[in-house]
Amino acid sequence: MRAKMMLSMLGAAALMHAGGLAASAEENAATKAVEAAKAYSGVTLNTAEEAGLLAMLGININGPEWEKLTGIKVHVNEIPFEELFTKQMLEHKAASGAYDVMLVGPSWVADFARAGALEPLDAYIDKYGVKAEFDDIAPAFKDWMTYDGKTYGLVVDGDVHLLYYRKDIFEDPTNMAEFKAKYGYDLGPPQTWKAFGEVCQFITDKMAPKTYGAGLINTGYMHFFFSERLRTYGGKFFDADTMKATVNGPEAVQALTDMVDQLKCQPPGVQTWGFGESLSALNSGEIAMTITWPPVARWAQGINADEQALSWVPESQVIDKIGYALPPGGHPELASGFIVSVSSDSKNKDAAYLYIQWLHSKQESLKNVMRPLGLRDPFRISHYESPEFQNLWPGAKAYLATLKTGGEQGYADLAILETYKYWDSMARAVTSAIGGKDPKTALDELATEWDSITAQVGLDEQKAAYAAWAAKPSAYRQ
Amino acid sequence: MAAPTNVHAGDGIDPGVFKYLLVAPAVVILLALGIFPLLYAVVVSFQKISLSSQVTDFQGLLNYIRILHDQRFWGAVLHTTIITVVALPIQLGLGLLLAFHFLDDRPLKRIFVALLIIPTVISPLVAGSMWRLMLDDRYGPINQMVGWVMGERMSILWTIQVGLAYPAIVICDVWQWTPFMFIILLAALSNVDQQQLDAAAIDGAGRWQSFRNVILPAIWPVMAIALLIRALDLVRLFDVVWQLTRGGPGSATETISIYAYIRGFQEFDTSYVGAIVVVLIIVLSVLLVTALKRMEIAR
Repeated sequence: MRAKMMLSMLGAAALMHAGGLAASAEENAATKAVEAAKAYSGVTLNTAEEAGLLAMLGININGPEWEKLTGIKVHVNEIPFEELFTKQMLEHKAASGAYDVMLVGPSWVADFARAGALEPLDAYIDKYGVKAEFDDIAPAFKDWMTYDGKTYGLVVDGDVHLLYYRKDIFEDPTNMAEFKAKYGYDLGPPQTWKAFGEVCQFITDKMAPKTYGAGLINTGYMHFFFSERLRTYGGKFFDADTMKATVNGPEAVQALTDMVDQLKCQPPGVQTWGFGESLSALNSGEIAMTITWPPVARWAQGINADEQALSWVPESQVIDKIGYALPPGGHPELASGFIVSVSSDSKNKDAAYLYIQWLHSKQESLKNVMRPLGLRDPFRISHYESPEFQNLWPGAKAYLATLKTGGEQGYADLAILETYKYWDSMARAVTSAIGGKDPKTALDELATEWDSITAQVGLDEQKAAYAAWAAKPSAYRQ
Repeated sequence: MAAPTNVHAGDGIDPGVFKYLLVAPAVVILLALGIFPLLYAVVVSFQKISLSSQVTDFQGLLNYIRILHDQRFWGAVLHTTIITVVALPIQLGLGLLLAFHFLDDRPLKRIFVALLIIPTVISPLVAGSMWRLMLDDRYGPINQMVGWVMGERMSILWTIQVGLAYPAIVICDVWQWTPFMFIILLAALSNVDQQQLDAAAIDGAGRWQSFRNVILPAIWPVMAIALLIRALDLVRLFDVVWQLTRGGPGSATETISIYAYIRGFQEFDTSYVGAIVVVLIIVLSVLLVTALKRMEIAR
């Protein structure tokens, strides 16, 4: 198995190299950026990166390669995810110029743009860019880059939640027959949350404690998971006319109640699981389903298992056994993702722009989204259709197809003013329900808190921001 | 040759002024370090300084009015009070029992006393992390031991369920700070006049009467100080709770310090946290002065 994987990776590497050579023969955003950036040789760019694997991509690969190509040094500043917004905003408020390149979550763009922290990029794109490459970006992710008609960043990471399931369990004839006899429909990746609960319970009843039906993330990033469920159940965040929070409506209460009820078919202690525990359980074969971010597919497949930075990833016992589907409801949360921006306080704006253009380019971004290191995920049509990527492992084609559909059908993260306060509040409400609080009470408190935040931010301003966000097709799907 | 004369630093300066000059540097430093931040917090509390606000104008008492309506803040006050009211008597009781136990000479007394004090010298952040591991649902020894007793694997979610999160916090704090009470009270008990105890015994006083009428009055000033120190520490409780529950589930174990930290350093609602700090300083100062007077130890 390992030899087969090595061969497929060598093949992929050869194709990547050949692709690189072919690309260099024609004008593309990467080569254009490199040529223009040589004028800034000797400059040092300070970049803000999420601490951990994401930063290692800059430290170990992108930074050294960029320096080799252009003579521009890249100094990566690692910041924990929870502090990314506040740290970068504070540096802007202090006008410190600490970062030339900023890492921005789509839900922060409005706040950063209004604070004047981000350099509008349209002039740079006109000067250095290759517009044809912009047509290659999947529409949902392209949306992230603009605010109020201006471009403030270039997407580098297209996050989509996926449902990972054990094909061997789901395609077992005995399981299929027993499930159909019990529930009256075919065993498969659940299309609804009700079905999710039933499939989860069926597998747990039959296979636990060796394998449980599912193991979802229940600590950390809970706002992503709940806002996806909320909208799948038909709920909305606010009443657009009054800006009163509607996160305690009947749909929301049902969504949270089901979320808590469905813990029963998951392993004991799943309430304490974060991203790492869920990954570990999937890789060890302890769970048959989970919903998480795209890099898990590469790790569950054991790709680059020898990479030192990935030594913490548990060795996969489920290679070639994992299937990919959209989460129940068919509208995955486009959970976080990142764009890279040029700081308005940068003293090296051209050099900074050229670096992010290089990172965002078709040529370089493909390499990055194929690497397990760095947590970058596909966001371009060419990524989904890349033969190199599709051949990275036997299931890669299905994985990319699911990601593509997820990008087309996914829910955008709420992106209004001071979104981080609403997120924090929602995450607390969800974890309190998981900890035993009545879901309705938790959501009533959440709605009160949201109304209070809205009043502090400014009702009219927030109403306008919400209207702009809600007008996006990815805000609420039909 | 003229005889050498003694030259003093204060020569030529009025002695009345000179004494003030001598203490001036210390006073200036104390004011700069102690009073200025406090005054600055008061000023900031009347402004509108936050991460996203574009203007920082004065806005009167708005932040103070917000506090009155902030359920999360009053929740944090309640949580802090619960932990203080539960943990403090336990620490006092256990500390007193240990102190009595080690008052007499016992084999290996010094070694045991030294071992008992170890938790106190550990950083609370480390203690919190250690207890989080101890109470871990899968790998923690506490759950394993409960499982052995119960005869099956137990999944007790100490840090996730509200009903268990408080006991977890109290256990951790009691483990760490009971030795502090113990060592202070041991020192106080060692100084109780043996003759008074003997006289009480001759007069027919029982153990409880001796404790209440002889020992307690003798150790009370020290005990009161120890209680005050621990009570103030508990009101400021942060590290242990942060490591164990992060204030969760939800906000169920959020203490005042954790809430202020989140508001101040995660959401950068600077002026609002300034108002919280001012309110706390006023309330705590009143409580402290009252307590000191009641305990008659401020004379």
